[in-house]
Amino acid sequence: MKALGARIRQVLNRWTRRRSPLPLPQVLEYFRSILARNNEILELMAEMGDKLSGEYVFDSQYIRSSCEKLIDLCFHMIHDLNTLGHQKYMDLYDCLERNKATIKEILAGRPALQEIPYTILYEHCNRDWREEVGGKNANLTEVRNVLELPTPDGFAITIRAYHELLDAAGINDLIARLDETGPREGKDLEQALRDVQEKILNLHIPDAIASEIQHRIETVARRTGGGEEIFFAVRSSAPGEDTEHSFAGLHRSFLNVGEGKLVQAYRKVLASTFSPEAWRYRRDKGFRSHERAMAVGCQVMVDAVVSGVLYTLDPVEPRSEMITVAATWGFGPPVVEGSRRVDRFQVSRDPPHPLLQMHVVHKQEALVMKPGGGMQWVEVPEPEQTKACLNSSQLSLLASTGLLLERYFKRPQDVEWAFDTSGRLVILQARPLRVKPFTDTDTCRLADLAADTPVVWSGRGDVVQRGIAAGRVFVVEGDEDLQRVPPGAILVARESSPRLAQVIRQVQGIITDVGSPMGHMATVAREFRVPTVVNTRTATRDLRTGDEITLDANENVIYRGRIQDLCYYELAQGEVFEESYEYRLLQRLLRHITPLNLVDPQSPQFSPQGCRTLHDITRFVHERAVAELANINLAGPHLAGSKPKRLQASIPLDLRVIDAEGGTQADPHERTLQLQDIVSVPMRAFLSGLVGSNLWERTPVGMDFGAFMSSMSRTFDTHRASLQEVGLNLAVVSSNYMNVNLRIGYHFNIIDAYVTDRIDDNYIYFRFLGGVTDSTRRARRARFIAEMLARWGFRVEIHGDLVVGRMKKRARATMEEKLRLVGALVAYTRQLDVQLVSDQEVIRHLDRFTRLLESPSEGPEDSRPKGGSHG
Amino acid sequence: MDKEDKTRILILDDEPIVCKRLKPAFEKAGYEVETFTDSTRALERTREQDFDVVITDLKMEKIDGMQFLTEVKNQSPSTEVIVITGFATMETAKESLQKGVFDFVAKPFKIHEIVDVVRRAEAKRRAGS
Repeated sequence: MKALGARIRQVLNRWTRRRSPLPLPQVLEYFRSILARNNEILELMAEMGDKLSGEYVFDSQYIRSSCEKLIDLCFHMIHDLNTLGHQKYMDLYDCLERNKATIKEILAGRPALQEIPYTILYEHCNRDWREEVGGKNANLTEVRNVLELPTPDGFAITIRAYHELLDAAGINDLIARLDETGPREGKDLEQALRDVQEKILNLHIPDAIASEIQHRIETVARRTGGGEEIFFAVRSSAPGEDTEHSFAGLHRSFLNVGEGKLVQAYRKVLASTFSPEAWRYRRDKGFRSHERAMAVGCQVMVDAVVSGVLYTLDPVEPRSEMITVAATWGFGPPVVEGSRRVDRFQVSRDPPHPLLQMHVVHKQEALVMKPGGGMQWVEVPEPEQTKACLNSSQLSLLASTGLLLERYFKRPQDVEWAFDTSGRLVILQARPLRVKPFTDTDTCRLADLAADTPVVWSGRGDVVQRGIAAGRVFVVEGDEDLQRVPPGAILVARESSPRLAQVIRQVQGIITDVGSPMGHMATVAREFRVPTVVNTRTATRDLRTGDEITLDANENVIYRGRIQDLCYYELAQGEVFEESYEYRLLQRLLRHITPLNLVDPQSPQFSPQGCRTLHDITRFVHERAVAELANINLAGPHLAGSKPKRLQASIPLDLRVIDAEGGTQADPHERTLQLQDIVSVPMRAFLSGLVGSNLWERTPVGMDFGAFMSSMSRTFDTHRASLQEVGLNLAVVSSNYMNVNLRIGYHFNIIDAYVTDRIDDNYIYFRFLGGVTDSTRRARRARFIAEMLARWGFRVEIHGDLVVGRMKKRARATMEEKLRLVGALVAYTRQLDVQLVSDQEVIRHLDRFTRLLESPSEGPEDSRPKGGSHG
Repeated sequence: MDKEDKTRILILDDEPIVCKRLKPAFEKAGYEVETFTDSTRALERTREQDFDVVITDLKMEKIDGMQFLTEVKNQSPSTEVIVITGFATMETAKESLQKGVFDFVAKPFKIHEIVDVVRRAEAKRRAGS
């Protein structure tokens, strides 16, 4: 990798020494091509992100070709920047090579091991880590960190530890040989596997790993043990386990393991990867040899009074509307293993989950923790032996928790749980429950049922989160209604207010009249995966509290009446889209591609070495390309007129203008330009809006406290740094063309336009990205901009806070008018996101801006946000 | 709806994800769906049974999509073939229109887009019969 970068550098250095200054048209050509590729990369990244919404069918070929295209575009951008900047940025090639290598590894299905820690605390883990920490750890930490349900404290030992341990001991080679040429069955296979297990049980654990494990034990002990020794459940958590493949009971787990014995228990769990049963299971399920790995969960023991298992659906009779619970005194293994008789309960799936059936058995013994480690059987006190081990309120809590998990994971759930000595319900494990799939006849009936059920509407509004919900409508009119939302309701509201988020865990679905797929509530709905449709316009008119409906947010249809089978059909599907290999692959790749770490050009990290993702590289190249051009010193007297000149205007905008050809009429030796010197048709129009509309001065810039805090460090830097370093705003103009790059505050704006009397050549391209303050407000400003552009007839695309507006082939007068409006919009929105504390503010500002455009006399006193202070 | 009345669709794509996503979407819309990731086996199946609509990828191992759809059209001219293909093979996809392909859809696509194409193919069949 390094070698390639060095080679390119060598060749280019040789070339550089011979170079002469580039002529201006060529400089501009490189610059434009950097901008064009920059746009292409941002849009491609946004499109890839959109694919995770579930609306699209895509395949791994798409993922591969998109990655190749991104890398190719980045390579050319880096090349062009180096040409502009006299090969100053050669390190970018190495950075790109590093990214490329990681992407290649991920595409090949190999986790980039060196980037994974050996261990990870549960609070830092979630389902994005499922490859590294295995299914069981990933599901449990998602329950803990997203749904915020009580789970055991603890940490995971990742597959990196597994791979390094087995590699170092030569065991991975042994296994590979066994895979390829070893015995397929019989005593020889079993003997070979026993040898592998033996080797693992005697593994030396290197200091790097052992000390990290010890460190985690101490961290967890500090906060739970209160100085005394703590005991762990050491559980297997293989990648792929507890997702579509259950591996139920194939790997070993150990309860009540003392701190000192944890490492040996860890070895034993690793060794269980190679039990003959687990070996055959993987082989039969088509696991590839590099997919074999084992992560381990180390969980603080829960002091269980009663434990058991819950199924949210009857696996054989999914339509029976029942939740099944099996439970016993003490710890759960007897329930899971089926080794003893246990109590069974069946409760309704409908809130408040009344008890339907109960089968209480004689429970003479209970499994409990042995002081000092291990488990033991003890006799249950006489009166408890024949008593039901759960009461109705515990059953109701179990049922509603189970359904919350089912809604979230989108599949029926098989949950292991315990009530501890303080009466708290603790979730120990959650995994999908396989239920009987639909037969052809069932599917046929379902299609008929759907065809015969009255449709309230179809295809209206925007789907925020896919999924199916069947239940009763509850219309929320005011905040006080939120206290009365019955569990399992389908929420209907006028606006997608962030306030609805507080009840999101207990509702099955959300439908609103107005609202944005990018607002705060939408984010929360997606986080909790609650089926949600916004912008339906008439939900509160067409639906009444108490109405029974079915919301199919996969197809975006609302039926009048319950089609319970639609829910079961969905629940019985083999694989959740989010679990598919391609989804996970794309998600992993995007984690290495889209995060933007380089946000502040003043920071020392703003360098080729600081570029960690492809987005960083793109950002860096764009920033530096603008800087190169703004500071360019073109040699030769004939080019003097093309030197960047500062525009003098009534607004505090440091804008340099490069005249490519006939765009200005200033004295070539002047270093500044006046407004009237601009003759470029599009630039004149744009400036008339930006400066002439007087909207700049009247932009509301008052910050509320929250926004102030979130932008404080950066604004401080902005004030301190010299204008030249911060406000690199650049325009390249010719008589009929302009390309304007603006960085006002911390958002980026590009406007590229060509305006002549030939209608067919005319176009305007507008791009807006980012800003200071949190992402919700940025998204609101993006929406504000998108809405205005759309009203003016632009074709608008919006992904997160990236807005792209395009207009083509309109008459010159129309184009000039649109550019004036765009100028006014840029002026008005330069700091608007700090004002957009609520969705209502967006609407208010839309009105205000429109009014100001029409009657430019309105004063700045109206600029304060209504509704008092925020913070 | 009786099983016999349903429109029969065969889907062939060597990437399982495409089949996995399309099957439930079409089933719920009331279609009878069979999916294949192996073109040889899909071809065998079309010899046993005529399908109303065939949805196929173009670029595959073994028998490629073009060859597959040519054979399908030979066996059963009334079968409507819809090609789903990546951007790279769009040119080939356009060529396939000359072979009597009903329409093509570029991957990635939204589910309702392909359902709409199938509905149009059905309408054409009904108009023709």
